[in-house]
Order: sequence, then structure tokens, then C-alpha cells
Amino acid sequence: MNGVKNSVAGSLESSDVLVTVGPAEGEENKLDVESIVFKQFGARIRSVAEEVVVASGLRGVAVRIQDRGALECTLRARLETALERALKA
Amino acid sequence: MESPLDARETRWRRRLDLAAALPPDCSLLSFTLRMPAPLRLGGEYDRAAGEWFDELRGFLAREGLLVLSYEFRVSADGPEGFCAVRGDGNDVKRRAVAFEETHPCGALVDVDVTCPDGSAPGRRELGLPPRRCVVCGGEAVPCVRGRAHAAEELRSAVERIAERGEARCKDANEEAIPRLAMGRNVPYTESADDPDPCDGAKPLDETASLCASVGRCARAAVLFEAAAAPKPGLVTPISNGAHTDMDYFSFLASAAALAPFWERFVRLGVSFAPRARAEERGNAECPPPDASALFPLLREEGVRAERAMFSATGGVNTHKGLIFSLGLLCAASGTLLSEGADFSPEACAGRGAEIVHGIVERDFADAEKKKPSERTAGERLYIAEGVTGIRGEAERGFPAVVTTALPCLKKLLSDGAALNDALAETLLLLMTAAEDTNILARGGREGERSVRQAARNAFALGGMRTEEGVRAVREMEALFSSRRLSPGGAADLLAVTVFLHLMETSGARKAVRPAYRP
Repeated sequence: MNGVKNSVAGSLESSDVLVTVGPAEGEENKLDVESIVFKQFGARIRSVAEEVVVASGLRGVAVRIQDRGALECTLRARLETALERALKA
Repeated sequence: MESPLDARETRWRRRLDLAAALPPDCSLLSFTLRMPAPLRLGGEYDRAAGEWFDELRGFLAREGLLVLSYEFRVSADGPEGFCAVRGDGNDVKRRAVAFEETHPCGALVDVDVTCPDGSAPGRRELGLPPRRCVVCGGEAVPCVRGRAHAAEELRSAVERIAERGEARCKDANEEAIPRLAMGRNVPYTESADDPDPCDGAKPLDETASLCASVGRCARAAVLFEAAAAPKPGLVTPISNGAHTDMDYFSFLASAAALAPFWERFVRLGVSFAPRARAEERGNAECPPPDASALFPLLREEGVRAERAMFSATGGVNTHKGLIFSLGLLCAASGTLLSEGADFSPEACAGRGAEIVHGIVERDFADAEKKKPSERTAGERLYIAEGVTGIRGEAERGFPAVVTTALPCLKKLLSDGAALNDALAETLLLLMTAAEDTNILARGGREGERSVRQAARNAFALGGMRTEEGVRAVREMEALFSSRRLSPGGAADLLAVTVFLHLMETSGARKAVRPAYRP
């Protein structure tokens, strides 16, 4: 076990994002992206998320992103907070 | 200090908690500003946000939704409000969207809806169009997410909407505040150049602003009548006329107490007319309810207004007759405006007549069953002499006002008479044109004859425009005071005349266009 607990950060308000983190099955990180602007920004959201998860050094986490059009800085902040909380919880 | 992102999380949790605590048939609205963080957090829109939130609640109430509770505060993420209403989430969301789309500053607010089960119906699920970008008018979310527009561009777009919206709200509030002509020879008219408060944009709730305009015309009419002088036998700022139990301040107190009621009469008219249309649509076989079905509602409101008047004057009757006539015409205006008919004094008085149709017969049939001691002065006069008084005047469509007094007032004003003098002179004409039960009750037929004769004489001598006329009016004052004759019926009709004139010359005459419904 990597010590990752379930955690959330953010909201489903418009221009925000709800990030849910929990333990994944196995060592691989799992990323699930849902966005109201997936067509335009889905790939970008995914790459930002991967980058933040890698930077955290965590392995075996499942990250679920429900995006309501959040700015990139908001997305990063929500991801970081959710991962922090997953470790502290 | 909490960060904006933390504040948004706090708000989100509160939103879910508040919604979860609601009964199943209720929904929670959350209200936030829709503008970039530097503008939202800068404080400059905090006050406006509070006003818009109040307007949202007013809008919901007018839409018939029961507002259960609400709260508003400014958090680290900017102004935010919650409002719980009784209503199904999808239906409430549709109305929230209508507010976003029709309020002058609706483009600057987000109104989300949460159901007790935590679900949040969105525009897309309801088949409604997506929100528009304030800069380019395209779909908003991609623009915001991709920072499609420069900060400066966004700021000026937001400022433009806010300024335009404020101006429109201000106009809507002031559009029909009559300007009192203070000196002589200041024509009293509403300028045709006054900007249309709804020009070029979808109005928030045009009906509401028109109701308010009609109410303002009525309030002004009551005050103008009270302030006009000389009025033989009547209370003016400088004379108590034939009265010992009331003075000018009684009239001001009464006018203040009645101020909110006029708009309520208008609303009764407005809410009656769409019902009539709906019933017409729903069943072609079934004729729409005739306007007289509105009268019982008006009478109930009238009783409440009378109670307010008596409590303001310490039990003195200052405006009982006027509550009947002016309340009726306010409601008549409401029905006309909501039907999309343009306002005219004739149409308004005609609709008033339809609403009270049969009143003389009905009321006096009831009066005949009463004990003589319980009958009002008007009822006694009808039974004794067949005098129909204000009821008859209303049932005939206020002919003394529409065909006699109003043309006279308009002529005097267009000839350059000061408003006060035009009112005083029009009153003389009304004394000759209508049966006044106030006079008949106190002075009998003989008193009524002398009032009519004196008024006709003063009017013929030139009324307020000649020295002889003014002298004759002064003599009337002395005569009426000594014989305790008070032409209160004519005074009420003068206020009605002023009301119709103000309506005709103000922004309130425009028909209600149907509000935008997505």
C-alpha cells in the first residue's frame, strides 16, 4: 500500500473542477478525465494531471477529474490539494 | 486568510448541505458573480451583487415561487448568495436561466440550482442554449477556459454591461416619477424624449416595472389633489375647508399609508388578465371570465387599504371614495397593460366600468336589506333619491372625468397654466359635472344646487385665469366653509383625472411585451 486514502478537492461550480483521489488497484496510476470542454481541452487536462501526479512522486493512485471549465491554474491547484489530502487523510 | 479556492470549496460544501436539508419538493439556488477573479474579488461589484441577488429573489417571487430562506455574504471568492425555494429543480432552473438571460446584468451572474438529492440540472439537460461569452457572444466556457480574451477586454465588457444595466434599472425606477411644475407657466408633461428603459435589450421583468410606474402615477395623483389650492370646502395646505376633524397632514398621512396599495391593485389586474387569456386558450367553447370576476379581489384589497388609511388618520375618512375609484382604475390599467393593449384614458375607464358592471344594482340591493342606521350616506341617498354616486360614475366609465375634466385639464396645461391652477380650475368643472354624495348628504338638494351654481359661475368667470374667477372661488371657499359643504366626490374625481393624465403622459402607457422565455 502507498498510504493513499480517498480525498476530494474542488467543486462542480462552473469554472471549477472536482478532483477525487483514491488508491488504484496495482502500481499503475489511473486517470479518468471528464470535462464539459473535453473536445477542446481534454488532452491538455490529461497531460497537466499526469505531470502533477508524477511530480508528487505517488504511485498507484486513481485520479478522477470532473471538469467544469476550470482554468489551468485552478486545475493544478485542485490536483495538488487533492493529492496532499490523500496522503494526510 | 482563506484563499479564493478554499472559499469556493466551502461554498460548494455549504451548497450541498443546504440542499440536502431541504424537503424533496424544494430546490436551492446559488448565486455568484460571473466575471474574472480580479473584478469579482476587488469589492467594486459587492454592492451591485447584493442588489442583483435581491432582484433575483423578487423575480422568483413574481414567478410564483415561494422563497423559503436565503443568505448573502462576501467570501474570499467574492459575493455569494443562497436561496431556497419551493419548486422542482428543472422548473426552478428554467426560471434561473430566464433571470440570467433577461435581467439587465444577468450576463454577470451565475445562478445554479441544486436538488435535495445533490443533482444539479444544467442548461444542456434542459435543452437550453449555453451561456454566452460577454466579449464575443460565442459559447462562454471554451472562451473562459482557454483565456480567449485579454483581461482588459473582459474588464471593459463587464463594466459596459454593469453600467448599462444600472442605467436601465435606474430609468425603470425613475421613468414615471412625475416632475412637479413648481412655478407658474411650467408645462406639466412627460417628455417624449425620455429614454425607453427597455430600449434595445431584453427587459428583466417589464411587467414589474410597469406596475411600479402605474403605482407611481397613482401616488402622485393622490398627492397632487391634496396639494392643490384653492379648493372650496376641501382640505388644502392652507385651509381645512369645511372640515374640523382633518387637515392637510391627515391627507399626507393617508397618502403615505395608501402608497403601497395602488401597485397591489395594478398587480391584481395584471395577474387576472393572463388567467383570462389562458382559460380562453385552453377551452375555446368556454368564454373567458368577464372582467367583473376581478371585482371581489379588488374589494378585499380595498378593505385592507381602508384599514391602513383609518389607522394612519386616527379613524378619519380621507380617501375611502378614492380607494374605490383609483384602486379600480389601477387594476383596469393592469389588465390592459398585461393584455398588450396600449393605455388610453377611455380604455382604462371603460375597463373599469366592465370590472364594476352591475355594482349599483348589487350594492344597493344589499343596502335595502340593511337597517337604516347601518346604511352609508351613499346608500341612504340611493334609496331615498336614486342617486348612484361614485358607483354609478364608475359603472358608466367615469364620464365626468373622461369627457369633461380630463380634456379641460389638458387644455389648461397646454395653454401654459401652472399645474396647481389647472387642478383648481378642473375641480370647479367636476363640481358641476357629477353628483357629489358628500354634498348631498350634508347639504341636501338645495346645498348641491348652490355648489353647482357657484362652481359654474366661477368657471364661467374664467376660473383661476381671471381676477373675477379667483374672487368667485374665494367666495365659494367662504360659503362652503360656513355651510359645511365639502365636495369630496369631486375631489376624488380630480385625483382620478390627474391619474389618467399622468398615465397618458408617462412611460407607464406602453403595453407589456411578453418577457423572454427560453
